[in-house]
Amino acid sequence: MPRRDDLHKILILGSGPIVIGQACEFDYSGTQACQALRRAGYEVVLVNSNPATIMTDPETADRTYVEPITVDAVTSVIEREQPDALLPNMGGQTALNCAVALGETGVLERYDVEVIGCDLDSIRIGEDRELFAAAMRDIGLEVAASGFAHTLDEAMDIADGLGYPVVVRPSFTLGGAGGGIARNEQELEQIAGQGLALSPSTEVLVEQSIEGWKEIEMEVMRDGAGNGIVICSIENLDPMGVHTGDSITVAPAQTLSDDELQRLRDYSLACLERVGVATGGSNVQFAVNPEDGRVIVIEMNPRVSRSSALASKATGFPIAKAAALLAVGYTLDEIVNDITRVTPACYEPSLDYCVVKVPRFAFEKFKGTSEVLTTRMKSVGEVMTIGRTFEEALQKVLRSLEDGHDGLGLDEAALFDEKHFAELVALPTPERIFYVAEALRRGWSVGRVAGMTGIDPWYLYRIADIVTAETAIRRLGLGGMDREHLLAAKQLGFSDVQIARLCGCTEEVVRAVRKVLGVTPQVKTIDTCAGEFAAQTNYHYLTYEDGGATEHTEAARPRAIILSAGPNRIGQGIEFDYCCVHAAYALRDKGYETVMINCNPETVSTDYDTSDRLYFEPLTFEDVMNVIEIEQPEGVIVTLGGQTPIKLARQLEEAGVPLMGTGSDAIDLAEDRDRFSALLDQMGLAYPPSSVAATIEEAQQAARSVGYPIIVRPSYVLGGRGMAIVYGPEELASYMGEATRVTPDHPVYLDAFLEEAIELDVDALCDGTSCYVGTVLEHIEECGIHSGDSACCYPPFSLSDTLVQNVRDITHRLALACGIRGLLNVQYAVKDEQVFVIELNPRASRTVPFSSKASGVPLAKLAARVMTGEVLADLPLPPEERETGYFAVKEAVMPWARFPGSDVRLGPEMRSTGEVMGVGATFPVAYAKTREAIDYEMPSEGTVFISVRDADKRAIAPVAFSLAQMGYRILATRGTAKTLRAVGIACEVTKRVGEGHPNVHDVLAGGGVSFIINTPHGHDSRGDGAVLRSEAVSRGITNVTTLSGATALLQALAVLRNGRLSVCALQDLAVRQQ
Amino acid sequence: MNLLVSEGSQPLALLALEDGTCFCGRACGASGEAFGEVVFNTSMVGYQEIVTDPSYAGQIVTLTYPQVGNYGVSEAAMQSSGTALRGLVVRDLCHTPSNWQSVCAFPDFLRDHGVIAIEGVDTRALTLRIRSAGAMRAAISTIDLDPESLVARVTASPAINAHNFVADVSPRQERVTPASSYALRVREKTGRAALRVVAYDCGEKRGIEEGLAAIGCEVVAVPFDTPAARVLSLKPDGVFFSNGPGDPRQVTQTARAAEDLLGRLPVFGICLGNQIMALAAGADIEKLPFGHHGGNEPVMNLLTRRVEITAQNHNYGLVFDSMGPLEPELSEGETTHVRDLRHWVELGIAPVVRTPRLGRVRLTHVNLNDGTPEGIQFLDLPAFSVQYHPEACPGPHDARYLFDAFARLMDAWRERDNGGSVSPDYLSIDVREGRPHHAEA
Repeated sequence: MPRRDDLHKILILGSGPIVIGQACEFDYSGTQACQALRRAGYEVVLVNSNPATIMTDPETADRTYVEPITVDAVTSVIEREQPDALLPNMGGQTALNCAVALGETGVLERYDVEVIGCDLDSIRIGEDRELFAAAMRDIGLEVAASGFAHTLDEAMDIADGLGYPVVVRPSFTLGGAGGGIARNEQELEQIAGQGLALSPSTEVLVEQSIEGWKEIEMEVMRDGAGNGIVICSIENLDPMGVHTGDSITVAPAQTLSDDELQRLRDYSLACLERVGVATGGSNVQFAVNPEDGRVIVIEMNPRVSRSSALASKATGFPIAKAAALLAVGYTLDEIVNDITRVTPACYEPSLDYCVVKVPRFAFEKFKGTSEVLTTRMKSVGEVMTIGRTFEEALQKVLRSLEDGHDGLGLDEAALFDEKHFAELVALPTPERIFYVAEALRRGWSVGRVAGMTGIDPWYLYRIADIVTAETAIRRLGLGGMDREHLLAAKQLGFSDVQIARLCGCTEEVVRAVRKVLGVTPQVKTIDTCAGEFAAQTNYHYLTYEDGGATEHTEAARPRAIILSAGPNRIGQGIEFDYCCVHAAYALRDKGYETVMINCNPETVSTDYDTSDRLYFEPLTFEDVMNVIEIEQPEGVIVTLGGQTPIKLARQLEEAGVPLMGTGSDAIDLAEDRDRFSALLDQMGLAYPPSSVAATIEEAQQAARSVGYPIIVRPSYVLGGRGMAIVYGPEELASYMGEATRVTPDHPVYLDAFLEEAIELDVDALCDGTSCYVGTVLEHIEECGIHSGDSACCYPPFSLSDTLVQNVRDITHRLALACGIRGLLNVQYAVKDEQVFVIELNPRASRTVPFSSKASGVPLAKLAARVMTGEVLADLPLPPEERETGYFAVKEAVMPWARFPGSDVRLGPEMRSTGEVMGVGATFPVAYAKTREAIDYEMPSEGTVFISVRDADKRAIAPVAFSLAQMGYRILATRGTAKTLRAVGIACEVTKRVGEGHPNVHDVLAGGGVSFIINTPHGHDSRGDGAVLRSEAVSRGITNVTTLSGATALLQALAVLRNGRLSVCALQDLAVRQQ
Repeated sequence: MNLLVSEGSQPLALLALEDGTCFCGRACGASGEAFGEVVFNTSMVGYQEIVTDPSYAGQIVTLTYPQVGNYGVSEAAMQSSGTALRGLVVRDLCHTPSNWQSVCAFPDFLRDHGVIAIEGVDTRALTLRIRSAGAMRAAISTIDLDPESLVARVTASPAINAHNFVADVSPRQERVTPASSYALRVREKTGRAALRVVAYDCGEKRGIEEGLAAIGCEVVAVPFDTPAARVLSLKPDGVFFSNGPGDPRQVTQTARAAEDLLGRLPVFGICLGNQIMALAAGADIEKLPFGHHGGNEPVMNLLTRRVEITAQNHNYGLVFDSMGPLEPELSEGETTHVRDLRHWVELGIAPVVRTPRLGRVRLTHVNLNDGTPEGIQFLDLPAFSVQYHPEACPGPHDARYLFDAFARLMDAWRERDNGGSVSPDYLSIDVREGRPHHAEA
């Protein structure tokens, strides 16, 4: 069947902000879908609220709406654009849910919009576990024994029938949010209670536990003609019980025989047929009993997913692109395999390598929450690597995590919790793999470890082999290893750093010896077909093989290497990948052969056609140097991928690698506090008093001279990791005790904390002789809240033109003084009209994508051009001080609900996972859109609970007054109520948690509160407020923790009461500006 | 096993190719020397099925998936009673497997069956070499580790087409396998009697015999050189020509028997069987550059327009345009042969040729990767054959429906009007209906 000619305009829904369980894999799939459909001649309209995506670049779709993915906003877009069809299976559960809602409200029928790629019934069967279980039984497949509960009592009854432990899975929630394993009645009460609250249909599935079974995923595709193929099998190293997003996973499956695997293939395809997936990709998850091969279907997702992104990267098969083409009528045999270009997409990829994915966690930012992994996803990112063997891939992937590991153990600070050692081998936590290796190192048998962990012995034998090899390397020493031994070590994935540590020498020596012995890596290609056909694309990985056969080809054009950002983590997310992708586009246009290095499978940068060559490799010095030595680039770009490549700058430059753009000395000047302060002094620029300390004594002394409160932080960190505001000497002492563990080699910085100052973020370009300020962003939350967690607005809404011009002038001077060539980001604090410089980042910042979209100036692309030697004067830049005629707001998205037990408050340490953008004629309209984009629905009536610290009492009055005027009931704690009543605002008083019943906790539990304004009292994170905030999160109640945030929210609520907000395409903003 | 783990306990081994390329490695099966034609198989699992497949007689098999032996060895995976291949080349062999069905480690199995095997080879580099230079003669040795000497001996070794390997793997005696009782019950319920099939065992895989048993056939496997008269005396409902090793042109006796049997009763052929039936119809046979060996080959059934993902293992194939001129009235007016048969996929036509001896033959299946013929159907007599392996073992089960097609053909032949013919629609089965259901599996 050829393409459908009756469709012309297609609406694609994105997945909204990056949240845990729904990350940038949907940018990758959505971008592929937009590009594929446009190439096939369709007009594409896109709705996605996430500005950090490539998908929402004005060039990706024909019409781009950075608007909330709500029925209201999408309906407005449909009214305006009149699309023929809606493709909802590229934007995760968010898009599917929105499509279902659009169908139910009759919008699709009213505007005659056809849903393509899946039908609404199949979404329901895929998501509704009761329907799904019935469907699977229909085709003879076993599902876990289970029952649906709509109340806690029902859940208890079912569990009694099944016997504990049971798995609780809420219906229609993302990434299994609200689910978990309950071992007894108490746990069930807690987990099921939460699950019922989170499920939009107040429904949870209580299911027989199959903990310890193998977990296998099949990535499947189907076309409209009924052809079905399996793209990839993925085996979870962690057995059932750990969410697949939190598991170490391996492709292809390693421990299943052909017979077992082909049965899963038959079941997967039958499942797709039964659920009724019209076309596209799906993911089917199975549990396989390791004792007898018995198979149980766990679930299926009738859409592209995180796993399908992983499968695409693991195999080279572009699932999302194919799915988009299938949705418009093509069949699999009509689509050409992009990689071979001579065979069809209707086949099943064969791998001749092993792929391992490891999740990246952020528990250190959520103190107080349990690190035990469950069926509820908690990881914030992932890395993937490729090796010829599992052992090699595993060691590579563990050193890609950038969390202090150089591979499977043998790390610099190998600290094991001896007291809980056995427990930490048995319990699934982020560190378990290292405990498992250590247990084997200590002589525990594979059988014992397998019994404790449920990990298949095959994986444990491989880890035991790595451990055995460690001993051999240590025994032989570097001098005792000949070429074969060293090759064997590299084939097991040992990094030079690990070998050096085992042999008592340095990484540089190991590298030098390797080269002398001729143990250097070879280039291999991901070709989808295990070598059967020639690959036309340059999608590579490096490995060690005897014989020296390489698949590297010489390039006719000069090469530029772009180092991307590695795993998504809090503080370094998709924004940096976005910048790298833009650089690849810009440099390709300039005639370079672009080479990307990255190990994050979720991203657009690791799509094989984003750059001319892709190396899926860890971003360590060793791995990066390997690529550099093979590719011999004209230059390497280190300033677009966040802190990851920046950290390598000096080492690379010392190794003689030419850096493009800002050099390592300029980087050092900006990042070295002393040098930078000296520069500011010399330039006569103000900055908060600060000091440096390496010990507790030094810190106490420094704090006295700077004055409390102070912001303390370790040097060279991103996202404010380890950053805190301390109010007195005791707090400082306890901070120092912990901080020294973060980065032992670097001192701690102490800055005076400017209370109630306004913070600004400035993104600018510099070519070495002139500077251009792209945006000045005004933060909503005051200084002290990490810039990544604060909302911000372009252009500034409360600053005078003179002040903004002053900020631009300072930025120009600083950029030139530091010798920046490329992007820079400066953070300022404004207090009493005085501008303080807080820090300068000599690299692309988190706000670059937002700044680019808000201002219409593609900063990252221009930066790449500047790095090649172009000058700003020759670039198409609009005047810095122009009238925009609109406001764009960026707001952060917090993952509180995933980390029960940790304190819910904004602070100097960044904790948000993603961001949304809203555009409107006024600041409140733009801000209201961001609230809608995050919460999907704002409480337009009901009770507001207010409790503020003393410092905010005076300022809360006008906010409360307006809320009362808008018809909200006001509930307050005694102190706050006193203030409010004094100015004549009617309010009710409730008891604090410790004051008996009924207290505020009871009111929240009763569901009587629409939202909360609660500003934390000082530094206390264990008091009443913390309990309250945590309760709000678990009930999904909006909770504002700053007064500035409350004011902005109030304005947004006022706007939202005036009816549906108008929508606006990015392409029209550009027009409006001219 | 990695050198740092094995501590050098494995002897050195050398793999030498006809074109002078050599790979060093370590012995991981039996010691000694093996000469044969080197090919590669891209299946990611199913190593035991591959090494016990008699079709690999005379060949050295390279497995492209680097880690082999992970789930050990099981009785259920055996495709014959032993191994027939000459040697095995892998990147990394697993000595400590894990699977509930495993009874021993794969390296032990190889050693026990005398299979010369080498590990530590850059199998991807080797595969790319075979892809560009074609399947060629090669040797694995644990004795002669001198590249120059081994290459010289490889170039002096006989080519694969110089020997009738079928004679080596075909049984000396007839044997009878009963039909599956489940299938018989199903047939009984629908009023159909049990079937008897005589299978020319040219190196038949057990999976095929199981496939035939599963459709309700009692299978009488006979040696490759059994005369047609003997077959007819067994009064079968159908005759089957099996897979097997080597150049089909070496297997003249079987082709002659096929000529005698075609038209007298329903006939089905797989792989070598397909080539033998094509030879009987007067087709030319060609050798593909490096053959098809793997479990992911897309094949379109031109009758249903559905694609099935198939298991394949062959170096030789029939040449469709050599079978005779096109019959325009059955080929929607087309009169010109095209070598790349994907042409017919694009046109949506299943073309028909007229053969000199056996009437009209329709092209029913085409390989979408390279446009080679994968299946034919005789229109004037009850017979069809495919080049690939519907029994899979290893590989996807998509093509299982071909066994059902054979049963349908035999049933229709039984019930045909006297002297009448059978409607050719027995092959039009949707791949989705053919996939095994849970209850059967």
